[in-house]
Amino acid sequence: MEGPSCLSPAGRDGETRAADRREPGGGSGTDPTRDTRTQFRVCRFIMETGLKLGLRSVPVATACVLYHRFFQRASVRVYEPYLVAMSCLYLAGKVEEQHIRTRDIINVSHRYFNKGSAPLECDKEFWDLRDSVVQCELLVLRQLDFHVSFEHPHKYLLHYLLSLKSLVNRHAWSRTPVVETSWALLRDCYHGDMCIRHTPQHVAIATLYLALNSYGVELPVGEKTWWQVLCEDVTKADIDAVISDLLRLYDMEAKCI
Amino acid sequence: MDRDLLRQSLIFHGESLFNKLKCEQTENPDFQEVVSDLCKATYESRGGEQGSSLVEQFIARKADILFCPSWKTAKPQEQEHEEEEAGEPYAIMPPLEVFMELPDEERRAMIYRDLEKGDIVVGRINNIREYGFFLTLLCMAGGLKRDIEDLELSALCHIREIPSTSSHDDPLSYYQIGDFIRGGVKDIDRYQEKITVSLHQACLSPSLEHIKLGVITREELPIHYSRSVSAASDSNETYGCILRRCHGYQNPSVVEFLLDKVGISDTHPPSMMRGLQSKHFQEEDFASAIRKKQSASWALKCVRAGVDHFKHGRHVEAMNEYNKALDIDTKNVEALVARGALYANKGSIMKAITDFELALENCPDHRNAKKYLCQTLVERGKQLEDQEKLVTAEGLYRRALALDDSNPEAKEAMHNITETIQKSIRLREEALAKEQVKDTSQTSAEKLRKILKEEKRMKKKRKRSASSSSSSSKSSSSSSSPSRRKKKKKKRRKSERGSKRHRRRSEEGGQEDGAVGRDGDDRRINQLYSLSAASDEEESDGSHRERKRDRTEKNSQSRSPPREEKRGRSRERRDESRKGTRDSDSKRRGSLEENKTRKLSSSSAELEYSRRSSFQSEYSGISGSTYRHPENRMRHDSSTRSSLDSGRNENKDRQDGDEAEREKAEEEGRQTQKSDSNGQSEGGSKKNLPAHLLSIFNQIAQFEKEKGLKPKK
Repeated sequence: MEGPSCLSPAGRDGETRAADRREPGGGSGTDPTRDTRTQFRVCRFIMETGLKLGLRSVPVATACVLYHRFFQRASVRVYEPYLVAMSCLYLAGKVEEQHIRTRDIINVSHRYFNKGSAPLECDKEFWDLRDSVVQCELLVLRQLDFHVSFEHPHKYLLHYLLSLKSLVNRHAWSRTPVVETSWALLRDCYHGDMCIRHTPQHVAIATLYLALNSYGVELPVGEKTWWQVLCEDVTKADIDAVISDLLRLYDMEAKCI
Repeated sequence: MDRDLLRQSLIFHGESLFNKLKCEQTENPDFQEVVSDLCKATYESRGGEQGSSLVEQFIARKADILFCPSWKTAKPQEQEHEEEEAGEPYAIMPPLEVFMELPDEERRAMIYRDLEKGDIVVGRINNIREYGFFLTLLCMAGGLKRDIEDLELSALCHIREIPSTSSHDDPLSYYQIGDFIRGGVKDIDRYQEKITVSLHQACLSPSLEHIKLGVITREELPIHYSRSVSAASDSNETYGCILRRCHGYQNPSVVEFLLDKVGISDTHPPSMMRGLQSKHFQEEDFASAIRKKQSASWALKCVRAGVDHFKHGRHVEAMNEYNKALDIDTKNVEALVARGALYANKGSIMKAITDFELALENCPDHRNAKKYLCQTLVERGKQLEDQEKLVTAEGLYRRALALDDSNPEAKEAMHNITETIQKSIRLREEALAKEQVKDTSQTSAEKLRKILKEEKRMKKKRKRSASSSSSSSKSSSSSSSPSRRKKKKKKRRKSERGSKRHRRRSEEGGQEDGAVGRDGDDRRINQLYSLSAASDEEESDGSHRERKRDRTEKNSQSRSPPREEKRGRSRERRDESRKGTRDSDSKRRGSLEENKTRKLSSSSAELEYSRRSSFQSEYSGISGSTYRHPENRMRHDSSTRSSLDSGRNENKDRQDGDEAEREKAEEEGRQTQKSDSNGQSEGGSKKNLPAHLLSIFNQIAQFEKEKGLKPKK
């Protein structure tokens, strides 16, 4: 699907030029690798910007999912990924009812790319940036056929945590930071497209499994294991797949950033 | 690093994890501390677990985050009773054991391991003995969720653990077999597997204290229990099905609620990524900080444009720019100062002052704001001077000087006004001094008479000045007095005053002795009556005056150096009295400075007379204009009145409210006195009462007054 002409390579705005500067020139390796790294960096941008804007976990997750779904079929070379990311944040705020102003998005993004710079003046450049964000939002909507609300693992994870909590000794539970770790792992999932390749329940179970595993927490085993109970259709293989994807993301961080 | 956590993890994973840890965490000093302790842990490892190498690698790499003591940020809320959570904010699920099909022994072991004193259990009575009853435990309430019904656990509730409803009945008669009971665990014997339960609220742990123990209905059984019963009966019901079906699951803000419940913050969420650790983020990169700076910068641009307009005389455009700037950034100091200057230029002094003050609130050291405010205050002061509001003007000049004491205009204006005030005071002092010349040796009665005279004169002056007050104020003031009794009293007082006025006039003419002699008795009586209440009234007077003075822009400070001490002293009295009698509830309005000044003078009888009277005269003269004369039916020849008095009349209009309040409080005591005094004076022939009878009357009156005043306090 073709986007509006303003996003074609000819009509890049100042922001995207800044974005180009940020990426290391002459990416090494094959294109897919470079693409994956770009995706990783842009997702990192989304997570950081979301944090600085005060976005909650679920809207940030929605923004990442919007981004990944957009670039499932679109090409990174055609559309400026950082601009799409900004629009995804804007759209996610609307979808998840935590509205953010374009002015704030532009401010934070500008500062992300130009460290320590003064805030933008209310001039033509500012209005152009704003226009591009808003137009890109419409582009994202059209690319996704207006299917923009998703089910996220966060709800599942929290309920699973509560159920598991009652199964173990209360003191052992409070000693072990399973809650923080699983939540952190879940948030970090969104750096890659694994979040759209697996179902929310599977992702939730996998992060919980990994957190419990890291601390060596033993849970009672009956006819069924706890994860079989919490989600009927998950298998050990599924869990392992999710975990390996997640661990790959951590490796990528070391390479990219 | 948390040693116990590491040990637990190593026991689970075994030696391979330990090796990886050593490999990855060589530079970590925290790890090196604990590494020696952990060697032993690996020997305990089971080794049977399928260790995923990748996972172990991950743990090893992230060990400094995972096992860091500060990683435990979750602050879970106090355990809340699920039933109490209004509506169902999240899906309350049956215990997992229901689905897991754990063996009975394991469940039994778990329950005895995890149940603690102070927990709440729900059970059904299966047996009643004379020493208590036995429960079959169904489930837990208040936090712990386990499936124990089929374990057939039994708990005893001894008769002494049952709160008795009355002293005679057998408490056990209240209970029947099959009742559902909610009780608190009093004791657990893990070896003999015995649980004792109590129905006293005191046995519960602090977080569960509010839950009522005793008999409950089937509806009050915990939700997770009833759901588990329905889940157990239907094996097709999976956890997921029930979860999606729960009403609480559909709550749009369920994630926020549960995050709060488990204690994780969504504004500073945890992350395992190195780059997302919160310590890397600076506050100034956040959206709100940038926005603030940006707003200030945008507003400044508008202000500059506005100043440019202003310099070219385009005041309307300038005002528009300033307003635009203040829309962008409401507290922008430059915009406020510029707008204030524009207001001052146009003549809207009050708006200008507001703007400058707001600017100084945000930035107390702004030089221009201070300078402009000083100038504007001086100008306003001059305006007030023209309106004869010298006191207020003086306050403004004082404030202006405090802001910028190098301003020549302010200094000059201050100087002028203090001179004017001093002059007027001096005039009055001279008048007073003339009277005092006649005082050689005085008895206390004569002193009192003198004091009374002074008060009357002051009152007269005030009345004369008040006579120039608008008729509307008079009518309004008179109409506002609620009770007819007051009006009567006022009329009586008026007549008395009228007679006294003549006397006073003659006094002022210099024929003091005669005047004193005629109304001396009256006054003396009134004086004595007022003695006891004088302090109260005076205090309320003073407090009202204080308040009024404070409100008139802090001009209550001494007007001239020699008067400061007197004022200070009276203020002290007034301050303490203000606290005392602030809540006198009869708020009838009075108009009688006569009594006021009388009380003032009477209570100050201890003080040196000359100073007292001079202070009074000056004080009452200066502030007299602020007292309103509600029923000023007397005509005053204001010809002799100084411009000061007439000037102050305008102050009066502004301070109507204050005076009304003040006068109401005054009138309370005054009324009681007046009734006595009026009664007496109307008697007519009481002027020549023998002294001993007088004293008796005085005492009675004082006593009555004290009684009457005390409850009103």
